[in-house]
Amino acid sequence: MKFIAPSNELLQHLLTVNGAIMSKPLIPILENFLFDIKGNKLTIFSTDLETSMTTEMPVEAKDDVKVAVPSKMVIDILRSLPDQPVTFNVDENNYGIEVINNNGRYKMAGQDGVDFPNLPEKSGDGSFVVPSNVLLRAISKTLFATGNDELRMNLTGLYLEMKNDQVNFVATDANKLVRFTRKDLKPGVEDSFIIPKKPLNLLKTALPNDDTPVTVDYNKTNVFFSFGGTQLICRLLDEKYPDYNAVIPSENPNTLNISRGDFLSSINRISIFASRTTHQIRLKITGNELQISAEDIEMANEAQEKLACEYEGEDMEIGFNARFLKDMLATLDGDQVQMRLSQPNRAGLLVPVENEKDEDVTMLIMPMMLNNY
Amino acid sequence: MEKNIAHMDLDSFFVSVERLRNSSFEGIPLIIGGTGDRGVVASCSYEARAFGVRSAMPVKMARQLCPGAVIIRGDSQLYSHYSHVVTDIIADSVPLYEKSSIDEFYLDLTGMDRFFGCWQIALNLKDRIQKESGLPISFGLSANKTVSKIATDEAKPAGQKHVLYGTEKPFLAPLSVQKIPGVGNETYKTLRGLGIKLIHTVQQMPLELMEKTLGKPGKDIWKKGNGIDNSPVVPYQERKSLSTERTFEKDTIDVPRLESILVAMAENLAYQLRKGNKVCACVAVKIRYSDFNTHTQQIRIPYTSADHVLIRHVKELFRKLYNRRLLVRLVGVRYSELVTGSLQMNMFEDSEEMVNLYQAMDRIRNRYGDSAVKRAIGMGAKTIGRSDNPFDGGPPPLLANRRS
Repeated sequence: MKFIAPSNELLQHLLTVNGAIMSKPLIPILENFLFDIKGNKLTIFSTDLETSMTTEMPVEAKDDVKVAVPSKMVIDILRSLPDQPVTFNVDENNYGIEVINNNGRYKMAGQDGVDFPNLPEKSGDGSFVVPSNVLLRAISKTLFATGNDELRMNLTGLYLEMKNDQVNFVATDANKLVRFTRKDLKPGVEDSFIIPKKPLNLLKTALPNDDTPVTVDYNKTNVFFSFGGTQLICRLLDEKYPDYNAVIPSENPNTLNISRGDFLSSINRISIFASRTTHQIRLKITGNELQISAEDIEMANEAQEKLACEYEGEDMEIGFNARFLKDMLATLDGDQVQMRLSQPNRAGLLVPVENEKDEDVTMLIMPMMLNNY
Repeated sequence: MEKNIAHMDLDSFFVSVERLRNSSFEGIPLIIGGTGDRGVVASCSYEARAFGVRSAMPVKMARQLCPGAVIIRGDSQLYSHYSHVVTDIIADSVPLYEKSSIDEFYLDLTGMDRFFGCWQIALNLKDRIQKESGLPISFGLSANKTVSKIATDEAKPAGQKHVLYGTEKPFLAPLSVQKIPGVGNETYKTLRGLGIKLIHTVQQMPLELMEKTLGKPGKDIWKKGNGIDNSPVVPYQERKSLSTERTFEKDTIDVPRLESILVAMAENLAYQLRKGNKVCACVAVKIRYSDFNTHTQQIRIPYTSADHVLIRHVKELFRKLYNRRLLVRLVGVRYSELVTGSLQMNMFEDSEEMVNLYQAMDRIRNRYGDSAVKRAIGMGAKTIGRSDNPFDGGPPPLLANRRS
């Protein structure tokens, strides 16, 4: 059985779904793509049993076939070919795959597609539609704040919380938190689930940066993202997300308005001199002056800078992890940011002074306890 | 450049301090150590050594060897006070010194010979220490730390020895290999198995052979045996870990009691961390069963100094570790991977009230001592605590039963 496909287009589709393949999977067949040809349509599957991706493209084919193709080899050969129609010849007795082009023929061993694990059936309890660039934005604004602690699995993923008239994307590692709200998404129901980190990274590279609609279908165990001819399916984290709303302070009376760029580059310089292990820096706010300082007693390094700011509230001194602040400031948009503080031992908030339309970003950072009592 | 390094060691330090306090201890065999049957000898007078009593020997055995000996419990606070007195005198007299344990010092006198000669300076310092503190001290002087330490050993008690530059090898040659610092019982047995008894033999051996038979330590032993030691006198020692342990009078399987002692240890060490403005990233728990099988287990955690986090990990580790249904002889807690820094607050676990509570408790402890306030569960464990500052750059305190 034979089919013919343009090499570059096929390669692009393979690269889109390649991320779901693990390098050394427990089940050897998972190192393969599944090629499923029905009519003149090729559907490509890849999976690591947690995350699966599929994509489809038209090809010229005579018969239907299901075959598993070694992923690395097929990508490598397509990559080293100039764009041209390539013929795939599948031997239905031993599933040998022959790639034929102008230059010659290349043969590799495939496997019966029936042995490839079945993908979860798309059966949604609910669904909503989101433009691709909005979803992309939500992921890139939140992903950095997810945790890595395997003892707290629930915090390693992105919490997607649907409200009647908005959707919250929440990520936290218990030291910092980001809540990204979109008010133009109206799922019409109240529901929530936690998406693990790996599929989100795949999604980030696969999503087009335009307003292609992405359909999000979900049930108790899986979530399905469908856009264009591509689909990403991933198993949800079966965990309970903590009540994050309880930790976001509603009244932080001391407000600090400052240029985001100045603040960020100052912290970048100061943090060079902070302790390599704790990354602790100190913010001292008096009147309309912000003093940022760090010291590494063990290495005898220290640094200090002063910045002008607009501050309303009591003078205070508060410690933070510089890496958290850097990540947060680099992720925010806009020229001006606002820090809302209350006490040196209570959570601080970081928000853009002006939010984008239909959007609300709130970042929370827990302080480090300065021992100056 | 030729160096001049002196090693000073207070003679039977604990005994000397006890004799200062009570003159009736003069001239009699005196043993300091645990008074129960479980105790070991922490220090003993030269009169007791004549009977064969040695440090680290079980008190029971010491009593059999020397039935006439007076056995008393040590007072570690008093000893560390006198240790500080001596340290102050040395700090006042020499530019560079290293306190390597509670009663031992290395002095770098290089360059001081331009005044009256290093020997004279060391002699004067010895006299001054004896006059001002009332404690007998011995010293050895040579070009490096190892040779000076061995020379001190030869000079004891209340003596001094100068090993001139270039005479290190002949000085070491007639001594037993046991005199080399770092040669313990096990290494000594191995060396005796090779037919090596005197340092002389080590000096005759090729370095490669020593390294082949004993590994990396063999190289060190060979170098020391040949009087080669380039290690510098280090004035400040960074603390790498904080630990405490407790041996019971009687082995126990009383799990609630073990837990309460561990909690008291965890809480006290956490206070010490905060006092030194440190956080730690590794917690370990140690158990020794009555059959002397010792097990430890450790866990890496995010940097912290918070009681409730550390106590939780200590308890979890203990539950994982204690699974043999056997009598327990000793438990201990160790915090390591210490760095200077503050606690990163956790939004779900740490509340403002908790932070304020710790700060208030620490203030009480700073003022009234570290056992002034503690968790009720740890109140049974009365003797856990420490009075000195663990981060002053000095050596870790010697546990009474661990005098090497």
